[in-house]
Amino acid sequence: MFRIEVDRARFREIVRGRIRQDLRKYLSNSELIARQGEHAVSVPIPQIELPRFRFGENQKAGVGQGPGEKGEALGEKDGEGGGEGAAGDAEGAHILEVEVELEELAEMLGKELQLPNIQPRGKREISTDGGRYNGVRRSGPDSLRHMRRTFKAALLRTISAGEWDPANPKVVPDREDQRYRARKSAPVPDSSAVIFHMMDVSGSMGREQKEIVRIEAFWIDTWLRSQYRNIEVVYIVHDAVAKVVDQNAFFHLRESGGTKISSAYELALKLIQEKYRTEDWNIYPFHYSDGDNWSARDTERCVALLKDELLPRCNQFCYGQVKSAYGSGQFKKDLDDALGGDERLVTSSVSDRGDIAAAIRSFLGKGR
Amino acid sequence: MQFARRRSSSLTPELALWAERIEKVARGYGLDFYEIVFELLDAKDVNGIAAYGGFPVRYPSWRFGMEFERLEKGYEYGLSKIYELVINNDPVVAYLVKSNSLLEQKLVMAHVCGHADFFAHNCWFQATDRHMLDTMGQHSTTVRRLVDRHGLERVETFMDAALSLETLLDPYLPLRGHLAKTKPTSLGAPPTYDILGFLCERAPVEDWQREILRIVRAEAYYFQPQRMTKIMNEGWASFWHSRILTGGVLDASEIVDFADCHSGATARAPGRVNPYKLGIELFRYAEELGHDVFALRRRHNDASLIDELVDETFVEREMLFLYGKNARTARTEVTDRDWRKVKDRLLGELAWGGLPQIELVAVDAHGKGELSLLHHHDGRDLQLAHARETLLRLSAVWKGPVELVTREESEGRLLVCDGKEVEVSEIAAPSTEAPTEQSGEH
Repeated sequence: MFRIEVDRARFREIVRGRIRQDLRKYLSNSELIARQGEHAVSVPIPQIELPRFRFGENQKAGVGQGPGEKGEALGEKDGEGGGEGAAGDAEGAHILEVEVELEELAEMLGKELQLPNIQPRGKREISTDGGRYNGVRRSGPDSLRHMRRTFKAALLRTISAGEWDPANPKVVPDREDQRYRARKSAPVPDSSAVIFHMMDVSGSMGREQKEIVRIEAFWIDTWLRSQYRNIEVVYIVHDAVAKVVDQNAFFHLRESGGTKISSAYELALKLIQEKYRTEDWNIYPFHYSDGDNWSARDTERCVALLKDELLPRCNQFCYGQVKSAYGSGQFKKDLDDALGGDERLVTSSVSDRGDIAAAIRSFLGKGR
Repeated sequence: MQFARRRSSSLTPELALWAERIEKVARGYGLDFYEIVFELLDAKDVNGIAAYGGFPVRYPSWRFGMEFERLEKGYEYGLSKIYELVINNDPVVAYLVKSNSLLEQKLVMAHVCGHADFFAHNCWFQATDRHMLDTMGQHSTTVRRLVDRHGLERVETFMDAALSLETLLDPYLPLRGHLAKTKPTSLGAPPTYDILGFLCERAPVEDWQREILRIVRAEAYYFQPQRMTKIMNEGWASFWHSRILTGGVLDASEIVDFADCHSGATARAPGRVNPYKLGIELFRYAEELGHDVFALRRRHNDASLIDELVDETFVEREMLFLYGKNARTARTEVTDRDWRKVKDRLLGELAWGGLPQIELVAVDAHGKGELSLLHHHDGRDLQLAHARETLLRLSAVWKGPVELVTREESEGRLLVCDGKEVEVSEIAAPSTEAPTEQSGEH
């Protein structure tokens, strides 16, 4: 089936072109998020069709078969097919799902927003104990004996000792000829990163605000996944207190009550200290809120936490302010005033979905 | 697989034995067909061939890739599975899916015998190319050569434009040619429905583009009879597979599974017409009425067979109804069970192979070298967005202005395409009468 694979590849190329063209659209809606698998997203695209002269929409009528009194509804199959005659032309309604690897999606995103690749932070390398037996050494258990190498060594010794007789090509490995497979531990470049998504779920963050956060988080994850081999994502929600939740709860939880941002920062810091040591992890906290905080005192506390504890440990700290009907937007201002000069801190504000692309770009555009 | 003709068959000895027995029983009932070559393939390969419309080799096109993607997804998710795939060729080639049970294979083989007989004897198929397997291969070679010479993008663009026009043909043309014992040719002059044929001869295109137009037209005419006889063809095959299998091919232990499988294929789907079901019931009804079913399968297409057979009893027995959208409740509802209305609607939908009837009525009517097209409106509007795009492509092939007269509901519409844009204006409604029906019966 070689030929059909060629045609399929061509079709996919065309589809990817379309997705690339429409990437801005996907950047501002949540269509892709629900379709995320482990390694790929299935992108629904309207079937690319050839235009033809065909019957249009007043065709919600036709011939059917089955019981039912006059006036009885046909049920969920709303006029589908439109009778046999029209069946051949029904192709227009199909939606096709095309799998796109997350990696590829990240590449498209990178191109579209001109994101630089992330530069390794320092020269840190962590060695992993990858169990690969690709080394050779002179001692070891018999079960790991490397026959070829052993024979080769014996042959070399035999020849160099002048004992080689082509008429009687016998090679007897000595004890020194024995070679064994050995585990080689290769230093693997720094490849782990942890993302903290922290969100304010106090009363003022509405559905739309959470949706925006969700879309931003999706694209940020997609990009960072393409940059690091091992990614962990931690979701934290907070109102006056913070807690770790799973992904689903992160986007759907609706708490009410006051907002104490420092609670989330403290929790993130605690996790970093306990679990994500800076020597082993690249750390990316993202915090989203509508910019309201409990009190100026708490904001001061946040600034102090950032300055003394979080920023030194992070690759970059991002604060995304999502405009809501009730939010004052004060927090971003405060952060910028207090820490504006620090390039490890990036703040952005999003007033509607159209700003998402710009926010992502400002977060990821520094290549940190 | 492209050497299907030279290879005897890839059947297992057991299946080969059954194929022989089933063909023998079929011939015993009076079915008559070219040699059938069965190919046993796994589901993925069958999907690939199905994406190519049944042929192992077609010219390169992303459309086939898209169809393949769709079939594969459907199979993966367990939504759809291809049982049978048979092509009209001498010898007839039919594909069996490896993963099917023996009973399913027997059913498909018997079903294929029905199709093969239908291809051989139905009058609409008489003018079709019986060496289409080879012809498709030649088309493929030709297009690949053109791609090498002119580049994929150019060939693909023109091919897509040509394919947008592939429904612009005269379904009655090949049969007229066949009856007149001449090769079907277009007169290359309006008025004609064979707009593709007109373009092949008169469009001011480069030679390689003309070659593509000819290929698209030849393939469109090859597939056209299948469009016009879908109900009959499936009905005929189902009618016979049922008879062949229950007439001694199956043993008692298989009958229940057969009934299950058969009734699955011929089930009434709520709210739509299943061609297998409608078709088999038409032939059973005809037999009850004392018609010679063999003569019916020779002379008719879907529309003319329904015209001949459908009456009050049939509509009632088959529970056929009309449905439509209730403007008040926005629901799709059963609107009528009057047999005359049901029959009229069926005939209307099937008359032109289920396609809008579009005629080239004049060339250069206003002195700008333009093509004038008329849509014979039968109550069903064209989808205007598609119509505009199609006109743009037609205009690109014709390299000149193109216009189309149609209707929206009862209001006349004139679409004029100057090659870059399509303008829609209101005009007096063209005559509502479809042109004189060409009888389907011969």
